[in-house]
Amino acid sequence: MDNIAGTKSSLVWAVHMATAALVLLWVLPTLGLLVSSFRDADQIAASGWWRAVFSSEQNIVYRAADVQTQVQQGDLWVLQGNVFDGGKGEVQSFGITSRAPSDFAPGTAAPMKDGMAAQVEVNGDYRITAPKAFEGRSPRLFVTSLTPPRFTLANYSKVLFAEGIGRAFLNTMTVTIPATVIPILIAAFAAYALAWMEFPGRALLIAAIVGLLVVPLQLSLIPLLRLHNSIGIGKEYLGIWLAHSGFGLPLAIYLLRNYMAGLPREIIESARVDGATDFQIFLKIILPLSFPALASFAIFQFLWTWNDLLVATVFLGNTQDQLVMTGVLRELMGSKGGEWEILATSAFVSIAVPLVVFFAMQKYLVRGLLAGSVK
Amino acid sequence: MTRKLFASAAVLALLGGAAAAQDLKFAPGEDARFHWDSYEALKSVDLKGQTLTVLGPWLGPDKDLVESVIAYFEAATGATVNYSGSNSFEQQIVIDAEAGSPPDVAVFPQPGLAADLAAKGFLRPLGDDTAKWLTDNYAAGESWADLGTYPGKDGAKALYAFPYKADVKSLVWFVPENFEDAGYEVPETLEDLKALTEQIVADGGVPWCIGLGSGAATGWPATDWVEDLMLRINTPADYDAWVKNELKFDDPKVVAAIDEFGWFARNDAFVAGGAGAVASTDFRDSPKGLFASPPQCFMHHQASFIPSFFPEGTVIGQDADFFYFPAYASKDLGQPVLGAGTMFAVMSDNPAAKAFIDFLKTPIAHEVWMAQTGFVTPYKGVNTEVYGDVTLKKMGEILLGASTFRFDGSDLMPGAVGAGIFWTGMIDYTGGKEAAAVGAEIQKTWDTIK
Amino acid sequence: MQQLFMASATIIIGVFGCVGYFFVSNLVLDTLLPPRGPEAGRNISRAAQIRPWLFLLPAILLLSVYLVYPLVVSVVLSFKDSQGASWVGFDNYTWLLNDTKFRESLGNNLLWLLVVPAAATFFGLIAAALTDRIRWGNFAKAMIFMPMAISFVGASVIWKFIYDYRGEGQTEVGALNAIVSAFGGTPQAWLTVEPTNSFLLMVVLIWIQTGFAMVILSAALRGIPEETIEAAILDGASPLQIFARIKVPQIWGTIAVVWTTITITVLKVFDIVLTMTNGQWGTQVLANLMFDWMFRGNDTGRASAVALVIMLMVTPIMVWNIRNARKEMR
Repeated sequence: MDNIAGTKSSLVWAVHMATAALVLLWVLPTLGLLVSSFRDADQIAASGWWRAVFSSEQNIVYRAADVQTQVQQGDLWVLQGNVFDGGKGEVQSFGITSRAPSDFAPGTAAPMKDGMAAQVEVNGDYRITAPKAFEGRSPRLFVTSLTPPRFTLANYSKVLFAEGIGRAFLNTMTVTIPATVIPILIAAFAAYALAWMEFPGRALLIAAIVGLLVVPLQLSLIPLLRLHNSIGIGKEYLGIWLAHSGFGLPLAIYLLRNYMAGLPREIIESARVDGATDFQIFLKIILPLSFPALASFAIFQFLWTWNDLLVATVFLGNTQDQLVMTGVLRELMGSKGGEWEILATSAFVSIAVPLVVFFAMQKYLVRGLLAGSVK
Repeated sequence: MTRKLFASAAVLALLGGAAAAQDLKFAPGEDARFHWDSYEALKSVDLKGQTLTVLGPWLGPDKDLVESVIAYFEAATGATVNYSGSNSFEQQIVIDAEAGSPPDVAVFPQPGLAADLAAKGFLRPLGDDTAKWLTDNYAAGESWADLGTYPGKDGAKALYAFPYKADVKSLVWFVPENFEDAGYEVPETLEDLKALTEQIVADGGVPWCIGLGSGAATGWPATDWVEDLMLRINTPADYDAWVKNELKFDDPKVVAAIDEFGWFARNDAFVAGGAGAVASTDFRDSPKGLFASPPQCFMHHQASFIPSFFPEGTVIGQDADFFYFPAYASKDLGQPVLGAGTMFAVMSDNPAAKAFIDFLKTPIAHEVWMAQTGFVTPYKGVNTEVYGDVTLKKMGEILLGASTFRFDGSDLMPGAVGAGIFWTGMIDYTGGKEAAAVGAEIQKTWDTIK
Repeated sequence: MQQLFMASATIIIGVFGCVGYFFVSNLVLDTLLPPRGPEAGRNISRAAQIRPWLFLLPAILLLSVYLVYPLVVSVVLSFKDSQGASWVGFDNYTWLLNDTKFRESLGNNLLWLLVVPAAATFFGLIAAALTDRIRWGNFAKAMIFMPMAISFVGASVIWKFIYDYRGEGQTEVGALNAIVSAFGGTPQAWLTVEPTNSFLLMVVLIWIQTGFAMVILSAALRGIPEETIEAAILDGASPLQIFARIKVPQIWGTIAVVWTTITITVLKVFDIVLTMTNGQWGTQVLANLMFDWMFRGNDTGRASAVALVIMLMVTPIMVWNIRNARKEMR
C-alpha cells in the first residue's frame, strides 16, 4: 500500500526499531504480570519477575517434623526430614535461631541448647538430635537456599475452579452481547440523521450529545435504579441492557456521526439525485461504508461492558445467580488481599475473553478499513 | 451434580477446609457442649416456602462461615436464605436502599452507616424487648445496645441493629519463638511495651510492622492505633465525647493520642521499611514481616481477624500468638479494650427477617461459629468451651474481662470523617504533617457536615 | 441453558425489533406521504422534516431516560442538603470553593486534562504511522491496543505491581524500583511521592488510551487520498515531511475526535485513582471526590455539586465541537 517506505532502507530500519521499542514498552507491564501469574507466592516475593528463569535465593523458616515422628537411635532422639518437603533446592547456609539465621554452612553441626544439635545438608535433608525425647512444639530451622525457578499452574486452577466462575461467564455473556448490539443499531440511525439530514435543531442536538458524554456514571445510579424499580424492571437483565445501551449511546453517536460526516458528499448526493430515499441511502451506502467505525465501536462497547463492574453490581444484583465475571474476581481479590499471585491470575482470567474478541474482530476491522477506502 | 461436587471440592481446597454451606456443620444433638435445646426450640417457627435475602460484607472463607450458621436457621424453620457478600457493601447498601430494593436483612460492618440509614427511615425498629435482651444477655450489654440504638426518621431513638460477632482490636501479634530467641518478655504495661520497642532497636532489630494500605480504605489501620491510644491516655468519657465531636479533633487530648501513635510509626528505626513505607504497605502484607527470616519485625498491632492473612499453615498459639495491647501503669485507666462488631438490621417487612433476628438470640447461632474460627461473642449465655481454639477463647476472655469496652470510634463517626478525612488525615500524618495540623484539618471537615 | 436461550432470544428480538421499527416507521411515512402523485413535492418536503426524528427517536428516548433525567435530578440535588430533603441554595457550591481537597482535585484534573490526551494522542499517532508501514504492523498494533482490553481495575493491578515497594533492605520486586536501583538511585514508595505519583497514575491511562488513539488514527491515515501523497513524493518531499505537512493536516478532524474522546475519559476516570491511591498523597481527582461524597460521605448534595463541576469543565470542548459541526455543514 505504502510505497514510500521502500525507498530508504535506513528509514525502514528506524521504523522497525522504533515500532519494536514501542511494542516492548507497551507489552512489558502485562508480561510482568503474566510471568508472575505462573510463579508461586514465595518466589514472587523473593525476586523480580524478570529473574523468574533464574534460581532465587530464599530465606525459609522451617518447622521440623512433628515430635510424634521422632525416632530413637542409640541414646539419641532424632527428628529428620527434608526442608524442601519434596521440592528442589540447594541449601546455602542455615541457622537455629532467628537472631542468626545463616550462621552455619550446610553439612556442619549446629549445637543447640540442652545438648541438642541440628545439621542440614546441601540437598535439604536435616537431622536434629537430642539426648532426651522431644516434647511440645518441634524446633525451627532457618535456611537460606537457592531455589531453582518453579512455574506452576496452581494459581490458575485456584482462580478457574473458584465456585461460580462458569455461571458468571454465562451471565457476563448474557449482559454483554445485547448491550453491544442494541446501541450500535440505534446509534447508527441517529448518527446518519445528525450527519446527513437537514432539520432544525441539529447543531443543538449534536452539542447536547457531546455534553452527555461526560455525565459521570456514578451520579445516575440511584435515580435510575429507583426508576427501574418503580416501573417493575427491578434488577433484571432487561434493566442492565437498557442501562448499558443508554450509557454507551453518546460515544457511539458521536464517533459514528463524525465518521459518517467525513464520507464523501458526492456519493450521497448522486444517490439522492438517482431518487434513493434516506432509508435506502442509509442501508445501502452509509452502513457498508461505515463498517470500520461500526466495528471499532462494537469492540469498544464490548470491552467496556465486559470490564464493567459498577453498572453490573448496581443494576444486576449480587447473588450467586447474577454475578458477572468482574464481580467474582473482585470477591476473589477482596478475600485474598495482597497476594500478588492471585491478583495476577485473576487479572489474566478477566482479560482473556476481551483479548480473544479483539484478535477475532481485528480481521473484520482491517477488512472494514479497506472497504472504507474504496471509492 | 458431579460438577457441583467438584466445584465445592475445589473451594474446599482453596479455603483450607471450610465447610460447604448447605450441610449442617455439626450434627444436631451430637456434641453435648452445644445448646441443642435452643435449636430444637427454633423448629416451632414455621417459615416453609419463605425466602429471605441477606446482604453482608463477608466474602470468601467468612462467607462460608456465616452460611454455616444460616444453615441451621434454614434447617429448623424451612426458610430459604440467600446470603450475598459484597466487597463494596457500603456503597451497595446505600444504592439498594435509596433505590427501593433493599435486602431483607443487612449486615453492617459499621454502626455509623446503619445510623445514617436508620435516620433516613430505611431500617425497621427491632423493638424494646430485643433492646432489653441485649442489655441482659451481653457482657457490657448497655454499650452493645447503645451501639444499635439510633434516632429514626421521626427522631425517636430505638434499637435498629442487632450486634452479632465481635472483633477485638486491642491486640499485638508476635512470634513467641522470636521473643524467646532474643530473650524478650511479653510486656504488661504500655511503659514496658515502649521500653521493649527501644530494647529491640538497641539489639539491632526492628520492633514493628505497620501497614496502612487497604486500597480504597487506605489509612484505616492507623485509626485503630489512635483509638487504642486515646483510651490509654484519656478517660472513657473523653473518648465518648471525641466520637460525638464534643471533644474537638484538634483538642490537645486528641492531638496527644495522634502523637502517641507517631511515637511508634514515625520513627524510621521502629518500623520495618522505615516510616516512609508505613502508608504504602498493604495491611494484609504487613504481618508477613513477623514470619520472615530474619524477622523484619517483632510485633504487629491488629484486630482479631488478621490470622487470615498470615502465611499458609501458620498455627496460632505455636507459630504466632498475641498479647493484650497494654495500658499505662502510671495512668489509672484500667484495662480498656477497643473492639468492633457487625450489626444485623432488618430492612423489609418480611416476617422471616424478624424471625432471623430472633434466631441470633439463640446460643446455637453463636456456638456454631465459635466452634469454627474468627468469631468471638459478648453473649453470656453461650458455652465458652465450644470455642474452636484456645486463641479464640483467650480473645473472648479479653472481651469479657474488659474494664472499659469501647467501640471502634471511626466507625461511629459520620462517614465523611470516620471513613474519609480521618483515614486520609492519618496518611498525611505518617507523611510528616504535624498532628495539630492534621487534627485541625479533620475538625474543619467535621464542622462543614453539620 | 434456559438463560442462554433467553439471551439469544432477546438478542434476536432486540435486533429485529430495532430494524423493524426503522423499516416500518419509514414505510408508514412513505405510505402516508407518498413521494409521487399530485402532491409529491409537498409530501417529499414534509416527509423530509419528519424522517430525521424517526431516525433519532429511539436514541433520544434512551438518552433522555438514562442521561438527561439523572442529570436533571443531580442539578436539583446540588441545591439540596445531604439527604436531598430541604433546599440549601448555593451552600454546596460555597463549600466547594473553600474545600482544600476540592482545590487539589481541580488542579490535578487540569493536569490530567493537559497531559493524558496530549500524550496518548501523540503516541497513538506515532504508533499508527509506524505500524502502517511495516509487515508485522498488525501484530504491533494488536500489542499496543491490548491494554485497551484490560479493565481499569486490571490495569491498576498491573501498574501497582510495577510501582511496588518492599522497604529498605529487601529485594525489590517492582520493576520501577529495580530500574531505579540499577541506576544507583534509592528505591521509594513511588505512589506516595508528590507530585510524581500523579504522573505515575497518568501513565496508566496513557498506556490504556494510546491503543484507542492508534486504531482510530490509523484508519484516518489510510483514508487519505493517495493523490496528495503522490504529488508530494513527486515534489521530492521526505517521508517525515510528508507525514508532518501532508498527512497530519488532513486528519486534523480525526485527531480532534480522538483528543475529545480521551479528554472525556480523563474527566470520568476514577477507577484508577480509587484502586491505586484513593486520592491520597495529593492525587485526588474530581470523579473520585464525587464518588467519595456520594458513597462514603452519604451526601448527595455535595456529590452532585462536584459532578456538575465536571460537566462544566467539558464546556469548552462542547463549544469547540459545535462550531466544528457548524463549519462542516456549510
